[in-house]
Amino acid sequence: MSAVAAAAPISGEGLAARRALRDARIRGVVIGLAGLLALLLASSTFGVPAEFMLWIHEQGGDAATIETTVGVLWVTAAIGSGIVAALQLIRGASLRWRPWLFVVIAPWLLALFANLLGGKAAILTNVIAGSLELAFPISMAAMAGILSERSGMLNIALEGKMLIGAFTASVVSSLVFIATGNALLATLVAVVAAMAVAGLTGLLLAWLGIRHKVDQIIAGTVINIGAVGITNFIFLRVLQHNTEYNAPPSVEPMRLPLLADLPVIGPILFSSKPYVYVGYILVIFLTYMIYRTRWGLRLRASGEKPAAAGTVGINVLAIRYRAIFFAGLITGLAGSYLSLATSGSFQMQMTAGKGFIGLAAMIFGAWQPIGAFFAALVFGFSDAVSSLLNILGVGVAPQLLASVPYVVTIIVVAGVVGRVRGPASAGQPYEQG
Amino acid sequence: MKRVRSLLRRAAVPALAIITALLVGAIVIVLTDFEALAKIGSDPARALFWVETVNGKTQISGAIGGVVNAYGAMLQGAFGDPARIITALQTGNARDISTAIRPITETLVATMPLIFTGLAVAISFRAGMFNIGGDGQLIIGALAATITAILLAGNVPSPVILLLAIVAATLAGGAWGFVPGFLKARTGAHEVITTIMLNYIAALVVFFALRSPTLRAAGSTSPVSKNLTPIVDVPNIISLPNIRLDYGFVVALLMAVAVSFLLFRTTKGFELRASGFNLTAARYAGMSAGGSMMLAMALSGALAGMGGGFMVIGTVGQLTLDLSGGIGFTAIALALLAGLRPSGVVMAALLFGALSNGGKLMGVQSGIPYDLLIFIQALVIMFVAAPGLIRAIWRVKVAKPAPEIAAVSPEGATTV
Repeated sequence: MSAVAAAAPISGEGLAARRALRDARIRGVVIGLAGLLALLLASSTFGVPAEFMLWIHEQGGDAATIETTVGVLWVTAAIGSGIVAALQLIRGASLRWRPWLFVVIAPWLLALFANLLGGKAAILTNVIAGSLELAFPISMAAMAGILSERSGMLNIALEGKMLIGAFTASVVSSLVFIATGNALLATLVAVVAAMAVAGLTGLLLAWLGIRHKVDQIIAGTVINIGAVGITNFIFLRVLQHNTEYNAPPSVEPMRLPLLADLPVIGPILFSSKPYVYVGYILVIFLTYMIYRTRWGLRLRASGEKPAAAGTVGINVLAIRYRAIFFAGLITGLAGSYLSLATSGSFQMQMTAGKGFIGLAAMIFGAWQPIGAFFAALVFGFSDAVSSLLNILGVGVAPQLLASVPYVVTIIVVAGVVGRVRGPASAGQPYEQG
Repeated sequence: MKRVRSLLRRAAVPALAIITALLVGAIVIVLTDFEALAKIGSDPARALFWVETVNGKTQISGAIGGVVNAYGAMLQGAFGDPARIITALQTGNARDISTAIRPITETLVATMPLIFTGLAVAISFRAGMFNIGGDGQLIIGALAATITAILLAGNVPSPVILLLAIVAATLAGGAWGFVPGFLKARTGAHEVITTIMLNYIAALVVFFALRSPTLRAAGSTSPVSKNLTPIVDVPNIISLPNIRLDYGFVVALLMAVAVSFLLFRTTKGFELRASGFNLTAARYAGMSAGGSMMLAMALSGALAGMGGGFMVIGTVGQLTLDLSGGIGFTAIALALLAGLRPSGVVMAALLFGALSNGGKLMGVQSGIPYDLLIFIQALVIMFVAAPGLIRAIWRVKVAKPAPEIAAVSPEGATTV
């Protein structure tokens, strides 16, 4: 492999191949070092017990217990990392490394988690189900980001749109509930309203970027700051004194018939809040739409080479407007989850960077819905674990745990693990002839 | 005559942007005054605008009246009462003078960090870097100054502590700003994401540091540092009771001069502007675009950090979690409003200092939350970046935006 790269003439292609090989090698070495570190950690933790419980049928019912030691988990992580590092070093740039990375990350996180628990028992069902739920807003932000960037628009404003969605959902749900007393109706109307408002905010973003050629980053910043300002303002002026307008009926978990009765898996996958199921469907649906339909082809063309797309008669700007609008709908849904299904009300700046973390998940997933979903899952896991460790009072400062997602986001965006190429024309205005 | 006209044209967008944003803010105040608006069917006059005299005091009420009250309180909070200032000066009583001029000096106190962060944003934007991490850089600088002051307390004379604390703040802020510059130059990681993430991390770092009994105020359950004023204090410009205005403000003005000199009178400054203006051209001319990005971000962070330092050891006297209170956001709005010119930054910072200082009295007196100003700032950024909106609303001819504003992020590979 290296001989081929060395023999290639110094053209753009040769350079790119060489850089890919170098990146692959660095990746292999980093993963190998992670494996060695795991081995090192294993040596001192064989005596520490690790106890995980899994609910078999439902919360609080019968449980299966896995008893092992932290050392064993670290060894597993070391083996996983070792295998992937070897594969990466042997296969070089031709390895599709992204899926393999989960063989490294998943056991590593589990071992780290057990290590931090320091012998305390944890209910794994709740951690995994919690991760899936906490990953929802992040993965939805990632989906919205994918839609926008595939069409050629940078979407920094996910954060702001999510915040507006959360606000709208809480207020609308409270009002409808006061008027009708029907919790289901209130929630449905609220979700639709949140999506609509966030969608319209998306149109504002698109209009500023396309019609007024405002730099797409500045336009996004306007929406992010504006969202903080207007939601804080109304919260303090109205909701704080009239708490009944910020008391939506909360969205409860929904057991899927039959599936929820599956042992072990049922309580993990099929007893979640309805949002999570909608999320799965949306990820699959978007994958199909982007890669298997004419609409998807046009979307990708607008983001990669808008001039070429325009030449064959595709209305690039219309595609971009629509993509941003749909992205807005999705972020609105994610926002409604935050206020209706997590805290039970709207709180000021409750998005706490989830829109940006979603962008990191999008990049880590290489602008593909399924990849981004799994990347979001890692963030969800880290959220679930840090809140559990907080409750258990494990001796790690909560501030340090809380900063993990932000640090990981920086690492991901910097492409330390692997550089990826996004849509070629994202962020550049397009002049329609 | 021609010059005057061109100046007017250039000032038209910023001026109209502010006016329009305040008008939209007024509409928001009216629309959220449900109590008054509920009466619109039965008594439209009382619902919208109503003036009456109760016990010899004129009272304005109604939804639109609420706007008058709110903006009136903002003006009063920002500039005080001129008649009162004159009488106080005539009597010569120090306490009276201090109370009368306090609104104005407090406006200048609020302006000080805005000049620092505004310059920080301007210098990074000029180099094509969209630094929205002012908040993080400011609070990390403040933390560094706090640690320096507390650790050195009693060991070295206070002027030395003052100097070292400011140096520490500047270096810490600079380092915090350098990271995104480095990442952008080396990996293409977009600075908007990295600076925002670093804002969250900075807040958590400060929270974490304030757990330490060395820093935390004795006996306090909330995360605030010890009072630093007994250890070190920036000397005041006017020595009157209750007046906080200190020489940090003068340093801020000097920094504006320094940044102006750097940007427009030095080779390095030219390179910074060139790589912000056209990255490819700058590269072909043999300039190190990556170097410019890192330098601009480090300088930007250093300015914000210095501002944070002057806040904790000067005007505020204590490190708290909400020390910055969104100054980083405000800085973006005012730097764009200033056309990224250091002299403009000073003027825009005065304006926003007045708004934010007045906004506090607005909150207390008329119950209009201060956060309205954050929304107004977003509108200001929007109108400055999209002058077409101003043109459409006011039906006036306005100058095109400065090219630096039209294209803040340079072309080239970025990862968002």
